[in-house]
Amino acid sequence: MRTKQEYLIRYKDGNLYCDLADIWIDPSKPVKKALITHAHFDHFTFGCEEYISTKETAILLKERVRDNIKIKTFEYGEEFKINGINISFHPSGHILGSSQIRFIFAEEKWLISGDFKLQKDDTCKQYEIVKTDYLISECTFGLPIFKWDDSNKIANDISKWITNSPEKTSLLFCYSLGKAQRLLNEISQTNFKGNIYSHDSIHKMNNSYRELGIDIKDTIKIENKKIDELKGSLILLPPSLSKGSYLKNFKNIQTAFASGWMSIRALRKRSGYDKGFAISDHADWDGILEVVKKSEAKNVFFHHGDSEAISKYLVEKESINVLFFGK
Amino acid sequence: MSLKKFSELFGDLDSINSTNNKIEVLKRYFLSNEPIDNSWAIYLLTGKSNKRFISGRYLKNLFSQIYEYPQWLIDTCYLKVGDSAEVITLLLKNKTTSRNKKLSNISLNELLSKTIPDISKLNEEEKNLQIKNIWERLPEDYHLIFNKILTGTFRVGVSIGLITKSISKLINIDEEIISHRLMGNFKPSIDSYEFLINKNINIQELNSKPFPFLLANTIEDKIFHHSINDFQFEWKYDGIRMQLIKRSGNVSLWTRGQELVNESFPELVEKMSHIKDDFVLDGELLVWNFKEQIAFDFSLLQKRINRKSPNRSIQIKYPIIFIAYDLLEINGRDIREIRLDNRRVELEKYFSKWQNKTENNISNIFKICDLIFPKDWPDALTYKEKSRENNTEGLIIKKKTSIYSSGRKKGIWWKYKVDPMQLDAVLIYARGGSGRRAGLYTDYSFALWKDQELIKFASAYSGLTNIEIKELDKWIRKNTIEKFGPVRSLKPEMVFEISFEKIQISKRHKSGIAVRFPRITKWRKDKKINDADSLENAYELMKKIS
Repeated sequence: MRTKQEYLIRYKDGNLYCDLADIWIDPSKPVKKALITHAHFDHFTFGCEEYISTKETAILLKERVRDNIKIKTFEYGEEFKINGINISFHPSGHILGSSQIRFIFAEEKWLISGDFKLQKDDTCKQYEIVKTDYLISECTFGLPIFKWDDSNKIANDISKWITNSPEKTSLLFCYSLGKAQRLLNEISQTNFKGNIYSHDSIHKMNNSYRELGIDIKDTIKIENKKIDELKGSLILLPPSLSKGSYLKNFKNIQTAFASGWMSIRALRKRSGYDKGFAISDHADWDGILEVVKKSEAKNVFFHHGDSEAISKYLVEKESINVLFFGK
Repeated sequence: MSLKKFSELFGDLDSINSTNNKIEVLKRYFLSNEPIDNSWAIYLLTGKSNKRFISGRYLKNLFSQIYEYPQWLIDTCYLKVGDSAEVITLLLKNKTTSRNKKLSNISLNELLSKTIPDISKLNEEEKNLQIKNIWERLPEDYHLIFNKILTGTFRVGVSIGLITKSISKLINIDEEIISHRLMGNFKPSIDSYEFLINKNINIQELNSKPFPFLLANTIEDKIFHHSINDFQFEWKYDGIRMQLIKRSGNVSLWTRGQELVNESFPELVEKMSHIKDDFVLDGELLVWNFKEQIAFDFSLLQKRINRKSPNRSIQIKYPIIFIAYDLLEINGRDIREIRLDNRRVELEKYFSKWQNKTENNISNIFKICDLIFPKDWPDALTYKEKSRENNTEGLIIKKKTSIYSSGRKKGIWWKYKVDPMQLDAVLIYARGGSGRRAGLYTDYSFALWKDQELIKFASAYSGLTNIEIKELDKWIRKNTIEKFGPVRSLKPEMVFEISFEKIQISKRHKSGIAVRFPRITKWRKDKKINDADSLENAYELMKKIS
């Protein structure tokens, strides 16, 4: 077996790093060269000399940071070379533009899953099965208690939740990039036909999605609306606004949070929202196992989340070689 | 269809915070369901059924066995979820593939009066098979309710008060009446529901039932501005609050938790039945030290509570007494609307009559509470401080003009408890919480110094705010020395002020002491571990008190 230093990709200062290419993946501090899997802020940091991502990720990032950052873009599946290593992006199904990243060097394949999901989502490209020797997978929801319902079932639950309280204003909290657009897409196919408002941060992302050719239902930007106009309608807001004085702008509200964590009753109760809808842009337990299997990886690493249980399970039940990065 | 409706009701009640909305949802449910199902719903929601048909552990083992699932994986999931019934419900999501959902039309009544009780009649093998069958035939949405009832853990954020209010609103009858009807042994049946919603109030059928208890509030500063003469003072005993009722010759003993406990205290029932008058008394049941005329510790009373039909030697070993505070009804006359000081006159009058006229001597099992007469508020404080000497928890202060209404009514009765005892201790272990606290480290163990060593002396899990819990949880994860299953041993660094009610010698504990009701009262971030108290300090505290 090789030592950790000899792996093509390893953990360095808490980030994924490839020595041979001198390139970082989603680094959390400024570096020379950074591959960005997708445009969520916990995967991006300011101050890198050069960023490399898919075209969609680059557009979303530029819209979000409003800063002149230097991003080199590639299409999905398009191979490029850095120091003799072939690198390519592949759809990961997490949000628009999100990608897995494959490295090929001396006939050895490495795949970084990025954040991914297998579930249906019409607002981004479906997860692509990529074969690999080494897989570095996320496992945010790496326990078998996580099993997602179909997103149209959740959308119908949301629709019922709003229409059952016509005298209320329904505030649905969700991440402004990705989750919000997916929810809008799903909710527009339900029986709920009332007005949908969205916070500026979500409104902006909706526009970017539309410019990139994704059909997103029209929403009204939430400004100083009269309270009675909001009765019976849905308002999408980012979770950061759930605490503090912002909610005082509304009267007679009910609140909900859309997140995979909401499948657990204790977390639902503790969250402080009236209701939780368990919908996630990450893979559930079965999703992770399926990707491990279909990728045909002989060696698997996990990062993001508690990987103890899934590692032990794969070793015991599936005889997969699970490796650990020293941190 | 009704299990579906109940399942929706459960979901709604679980996700609604506003009391008024909960009442509306309940009213709507009661209006749209069969009386028998309503009756069961009330039974479940008020927590009257906590019968455990199988244990959570059994349920987890069974799942592991049927679906060849590693036990350790289920245990890991449990740490995140904190409830066996819910863990299994979540794990079942991808296991029950049968399309044959024969049980999709099962009613709540059928499930509770037949399906589930039938399970407990089976032998183990049949039982396991039957549970598997039900899992496969029951629609996924009902699994949680089924598993929770099976394991006796069905709970939802609804109080009896809320059910009372909804029914009261439903039929436009005073809450007191409904509360009265809901007390005691509510047996789910069409009759019990019809009785509950009966618009005609029949005194006769309410005969054995207690009045809703009137409870005291925590002391408020504003009462110190009033004249001491406006109040009646009693010791606050640490026993079981009860109503002792004798109507039409029958005696019933009701706890505040609405349990009829005649069977546990037969000697009291027997003695009281010799009294000629009918009455309702509000008071406290205690195990009594007749020599010193003070109460024994609550732990002795515990030896009596759960024992039905105790034999003579138990009765002698743990002698009980009923101390009456108040007279609520006398010979069919409800006197709750009379002011307290006048009720007290009645109570004393009847007590002396009973003492003199009853053939059997009742004073060795029944007395009325002594009143205390502080001359001013500082004097009241002195009495309060003395309360440990006679094994009471402090004082109860009652407005002399108060009528006996129900619930925790503000501004008439107060409890004035002795200040708790406190020690500063070091956090050394943490364990994952369950239920609402699942996935967080919320159960803590604390230690005191003995020479250079930290010795565990108490465990506590209440007292921190949610924000503090989250902050401490983060710290715990970063400062773990070792993990033993769900328990982590921690770097000794954090000091907490621990308050408790009682401290005594215990051979079972390594520290040699045991404390009652330990709880965290302050996170002493200002203190270093060397500032924490030692076992010696604890012994001194113990000496000071006894």
